[in-house]
Amino acid sequence: MKLFVWRCLAASSLLIAALAATAETRPQYGSTLRVAMHATPTSLDPADATQPDSFARRSLTMLTFDTLVTIDENGRLTSSLATSCQATEGNQHWQIRLRHGVKFHDGTPLTAEAVVASLRAANPSWKVSADGDSVIIELESADPELPAELALPRNAIVKRINGGQASGTGPFHVSDWQPGKKLILAAEEMYWRGRPFFDVIEIEMGKSERDQMIALESGRADLVELGAEQVHRVSLEGRRLASSSPVELLALVFAREVQSPDERLLRDALALSLDRGSIRSVLLQGAGQPAGGLLPTWISGYEFVFPVEADLPQARREREQAQNAAAWTLGYDSNDSLARLIAERITLNAKDAGLSLRLTPAATSDVRLMRIALTSVDPWIALANVAGAMGVAVTNRGGSVQGGSIEDLYAAEQAVLATQRVIPLVHLPASYAASPSLKNWTVRPDGSLNLADAWIGSGKP
Amino acid sequence: MRAPVYNSAIPQLILNTVNRATRLALLGIFPLFFLLIAVVLGLVMAASATDWSGPEEQLARKIAAATGPGAVAVTVGNRSSLGRRDQEVIQNGLLSALERLGVRFVPAEQAAATVIISLSENAASYVWVAQIHQGTGEGAVVMVSAARPEGSVAARDSMPLTLNRILLWSQEDPILDVAVLQESPAPTHIAVLDPDKISLYRMQSGKWQQEQVLPIVHARPWPRDPRGRLISSRDHLFDVFLPGVICRSAATLPLTLNCHESDDPWPLTGGMQNGVASSAFPGGGSSSVPAGADASGASRPPMKGFFAPTRNFFTGALTPAIGKFTTAPKFYSAAPLPRDKYTLWLFASTDDQVHLIDGVSDQTAKLGWGSDLTSVKTSCGAGWQVLATAPANDVGDFVRAYEFPDRDPVAVSAALEFAGPVTALWTESRSDSAVVVSRSLETGSYEAFRLALSCSQ
Repeated sequence: MKLFVWRCLAASSLLIAALAATAETRPQYGSTLRVAMHATPTSLDPADATQPDSFARRSLTMLTFDTLVTIDENGRLTSSLATSCQATEGNQHWQIRLRHGVKFHDGTPLTAEAVVASLRAANPSWKVSADGDSVIIELESADPELPAELALPRNAIVKRINGGQASGTGPFHVSDWQPGKKLILAAEEMYWRGRPFFDVIEIEMGKSERDQMIALESGRADLVELGAEQVHRVSLEGRRLASSSPVELLALVFAREVQSPDERLLRDALALSLDRGSIRSVLLQGAGQPAGGLLPTWISGYEFVFPVEADLPQARREREQAQNAAAWTLGYDSNDSLARLIAERITLNAKDAGLSLRLTPAATSDVRLMRIALTSVDPWIALANVAGAMGVAVTNRGGSVQGGSIEDLYAAEQAVLATQRVIPLVHLPASYAASPSLKNWTVRPDGSLNLADAWIGSGKP
Repeated sequence: MRAPVYNSAIPQLILNTVNRATRLALLGIFPLFFLLIAVVLGLVMAASATDWSGPEEQLARKIAAATGPGAVAVTVGNRSSLGRRDQEVIQNGLLSALERLGVRFVPAEQAAATVIISLSENAASYVWVAQIHQGTGEGAVVMVSAARPEGSVAARDSMPLTLNRILLWSQEDPILDVAVLQESPAPTHIAVLDPDKISLYRMQSGKWQQEQVLPIVHARPWPRDPRGRLISSRDHLFDVFLPGVICRSAATLPLTLNCHESDDPWPLTGGMQNGVASSAFPGGGSSSVPAGADASGASRPPMKGFFAPTRNFFTGALTPAIGKFTTAPKFYSAAPLPRDKYTLWLFASTDDQVHLIDGVSDQTAKLGWGSDLTSVKTSCGAGWQVLATAPANDVGDFVRAYEFPDRDPVAVSAALEFAGPVTALWTESRSDSAVVVSRSLETGSYEAFRLALSCSQ
C-alpha cells in the first residue's frame, strides 16, 4: 500500500509567528472594535446551509470557531486544531490527529468525538469516526484536496448544544446575539493561541454601504465593508483600506442548459458582445479584473488564455446565424445597486449585437447576474464551488471530482465554460476601510477579515 | 495579505538567441579575458540558481507534440513574480529544449505555428502556459506547473556615536531573546529563546551547530504577543522569564531546565551580577560596570518589574521602589540612566508615552518612540545611552541611540534600520550591548542582532 503523508506543521510557536510582529508599537490590549456589515445572517452555525455564503459570514465564523487546518495566501496548509493529517489508500483514508489542551467556549475539551459530530453535520456524506485522539475520514473516492476542504469555514469545528446554540474554540465567544441585527463577541481569555487583544467586538448587521461609510466617517464604526466601486473614491480620501486578491466572480449564469444550436449561437453572441473593460473602468471605477475564466489568475495561473475582449462584429454574425432569437429576462439582486447598473450596461451591449434582454428583479429569470464568492485558494475546490453555484459538476480527466495536474484543471474549467451556462464578467476583490486607530488587521485570501491579531491604538505616539 | 501579481506581459520575439553569446565570443568579438570573467560569473550564478530543467523539458515536449518539428515563431512573456534573470534562464532553457526536439525558430511570417509562452503563477506554484496557433484552426493550450524554490552594516554619519549590529541568529520561529554564553571575541556559544524552547548553538568550524534543545513546559497558553528574557547567571547557566513562568537551567551538564508557574518580577536591567565580557565590537567601549551599580559604583539591588502573565506588558509594580515610587504606569519596557546621585528611569508606557521617573517626580513626554527601549553603558559621550525603537509605520523599523542631558532626548546616533518591526529589545547581561530582534517583512523570519555603540569622534 502506498503511503502518502501530509503532515501539518505542529509547532505551536509557528502559530504565534505572525502575530506579534506586525507593528512597531506593541499591540495594546483592551478596547471595543465596532464593525458594520451588510449581511444579515440569522445563524452563526458555519454548517447551516440555509445561510448564504458571504465574506462577512466567513469573518464571523473565524472569529468564534477554528478549523482543523488553515490555508495561507500561498496555498500552503498550516495546522490549527489538527496537528497532523495522514492519508493512506490513495488519499481515500485520512487520519487527523488533534491538538491537546483545546477547550470549547463552554469549557468542555475538544475531543475526537466532538470533531466527528461537527464534521458529520457539515458533510453528511462523509464517513467519519473517532480513534483515540484522532479523527478518521474515509472517502468514497480519493481526494488529495481534503485538507484544503477542511480549511473551509463551513468545516469549522462546532459543538452544537441543545437549543441550537453553537459553541466554538475560536478567539472570541458570543456575548450577545440578535440574529440578523447585532452580534457582540467577547475575548476568550484562555484561547489556545493566546487571548486576542480586543476585549469586545460589536458587529452591526444589515447596514447599507452608504450607512457603513457614514458610520466610519462619524466615528461610530472602526471597520466597514467597501463596494468595489467605492474603493477608488475612498482611497483618494486617504482612508486606510485593505483588499483581498480577486475572490468574487461576477458572472451571467443561465438558468438552464443550452436547448438548441440556435441558443448556443445566441449565448456565444451575448458573451462576445460584453464590454468588460467599460464595466470595469466606468462602473467599477477600475476595481477588479475582467474575467474570461471562472478562476482568477492568482488561483489558476492561466486565466489570461480565456478571451475577455468584446468582438461585436462576430457577435452580430452569430446572432444573425440563429434562426430564432427569443428575448431573455436578465435577473439581478434588487438590493445590489451596482448589480443593477451592470445589468443595464449588459442589456445595452447585447442590444448592440441585436440581442434582446429585459431586466427583472424577480428571483426567476432566463439569465441572472450573480456574485459568486470563491471559497478557497485551492483551485479545485474553488472551481467546484463556482461550478456548483450554477449547477454544473466538475470532473477531471481521470473522472474523479478533484485533484490532478494544472492541465487537468484547465480542461475541467474549459469543460464548465463549454456548457455555456456561465459567462464570466469580472473578478472582484473583497475590500474594507478602517479608522486610523485600528492596527494590524488583514484580509484573508478568502476575503474574510482577520481580526484575531488586530488592536486599537491611540494613533498618537 | 498577498497582493496579486498581474504583471503586464513583456513579450520578446526569440530568434535563435540561445547560443548567440557563444557564437559572438567564438567570432572573437569578446576578448578572451572578458569571456573568462563571464564564464566564471556564469558558473557562480548557475551554482545558486534554481534548476528549472524539469518543467522546461516537460513544456517543450508538450509544445513540440502539438507543433511537430519545424519552423515555429516563439514569444516568451513574464506574467509572474519571477525576476528578469530567472526569466532569461527559463527562456533559454525552454528554447534549448525545443531546439533539441527539432523545433526551428523563425519570424512569425515564416512560421508554420506560433507559440506564445507565458510564465505565470498561481498561489501555490509557477504556471507556464503555451498558446499554440497553427493555420486557421482553433488554437491549443498546453501548460505545466513548476514548484516554487524553497524559500551588518554600520551607519556612519556626523553623529557622535555609531550604532553597530552583528547578526546572532535567524530563524522562522519567533525569537524572544538571545543570550551570548561564550565569545572569543565573536560569539561562540548562544542560547536562543522562543515561545516553546531554548536552543543552544555552538560555533564549530565556522558554522553554528545545534547543541541541545530544552523544551519549555507551561500550562497556560502564552499571551498573543509573547515576550521573554533569557538572562545569564553566574552560578548556573541562565534564567528564563516568560509570562507567568520562570525557568532555571541546571548548573552542570547535561543541561536541564526547570520551569514553574511564577509571578515573580523580571529583571529590568542586565541580569548577571559582575558580568564582564570583552566587546565583540572594535572600539565598542567594553564595560565592566555591574548591572546593579549606579555611576558612582555604589552597589544597589537590581530593579525588577512584575510582568502581567496574560498580557504583553509590565503591570507597573516595581521592586525595589524608585525613591517614593513603588509603581509606574503599565509599561512595555524600561531603561535606567544612572546619574551621579540617582538613576533616572524611563518607562515606555502602554499609553504611548514615556515616563521619566527619578524617585521624586514622574514626568511624561511624548517622544514619538516605539514601545521598546533599553539603555546601554558605553565609554562614549555621557556614558549611558538609551536605545529606542521607532513609532509605527508601514515599512520597517529602526533603533536609534539617545542621551538625556536633562529631560529631553538628544539623538546621538543615526537610525539603524531593520527590514521589519522590532519585536524585542533587551540589554544584555553585561550592560554594554543589547539584543534586538526584528521580523523581516521580506522573508518573514526573525533575526536577532547584538547592538553596541562605538565612539565615532
